[in-house]
Amino acid sequence: MDEQELMRLVKEGDEEAFARIVGAYKDRIVNYLYQFSGDYQKAVELAQETFIRVFFKAGQYRPLAPLSSWIYAIASNLARTEMKKSRRQQIVSLEEVAAHEFASSAYSQDPPSSGLLENLREALRSLHPRYRIPVVLKDLEGFSQDEIAEILKKPVGTIKARISRGRGILRKKLEKATAGSGGGIF
Amino acid sequence: MEEMEILKKLEKVKAPPDFEQKVMAELSLRRRSRLRRRLGLQLSLAGAVASLLVGFVLWNFVVIGKRNPLGISPAGREWTDSAAAGPISGSGRTLPIIETLDYSLEVRNRGQAPQAVYLLEQVSDKTPKGVRF
Repeated sequence: MDEQELMRLVKEGDEEAFARIVGAYKDRIVNYLYQFSGDYQKAVELAQETFIRVFFKAGQYRPLAPLSSWIYAIASNLARTEMKKSRRQQIVSLEEVAAHEFASSAYSQDPPSSGLLENLREALRSLHPRYRIPVVLKDLEGFSQDEIAEILKKPVGTIKARISRGRGILRKKLEKATAGSGGGIF
Repeated sequence: MEEMEILKKLEKVKAPPDFEQKVMAELSLRRRSRLRRRLGLQLSLAGAVASLLVGFVLWNFVVIGKRNPLGISPAGREWTDSAAAGPISGSGRTLPIIETLDYSLEVRNRGQAPQAVYLLEQVSDKTPKGVRF
């Protein structure tokens, strides 16, 4: 059964079809939201909310665009909203931080981050969402610029400019971070 | 572009093993609460419509029922009210029928009309202002 057929069933309230969509996209969405937020627990919560919205907004889905673009669009909007919210409340308890660190490392595939990767993650986290989302979608999720334009509902030219600017900022931040620690970038 | 290549080396994470179960549980919870909310909304709407209807019916009974469709003078109304509430015949309540008559006009045109004797009966203790003897 293809995705369009599954979505047709989800529109009718079929939970089995919905479960299949969740199964197919859960890892990609959780990973995308993790790369965006840098917080595994938050990424899982946002991914859950993303899929709940997929179910309730299934009626709004038009099969003109691929299903993945639509799901990523919902996830991106949620991530942006969450980002704005968390900017307002920055207070986090130490227990919460420890729990997030543990949960994050529990399912990660790679060995613990090296200094460079840590710098990279920090630079990515400090990037404005306007640039971070297109950069993550392009360089981590492998979407084309046209697909990103479709996901973010922006012209392709704007997306190109944002990716280029985002990469530039990222490069500068990395150079600054590595210069500060006394080593070369690569 | 090297740093963009290294972006791909960033640790990748997977969804927790119970992710699907949690989503499905949350979904059924939200569906139930949505259903409950919709039902509550429907019930409150029905309640509002029913109370409006009851209000309208009561208003009809209390306000419109008290209105005098024949336009009887206040003195006459007092009499009819007491009469309507008072005497009850064997078969049921007796309703008095009052026919209004403009006596002033009758008396004024006395000269042209043939000789007639008018017997004026007082039906109320209060003297209606419009009647002249």
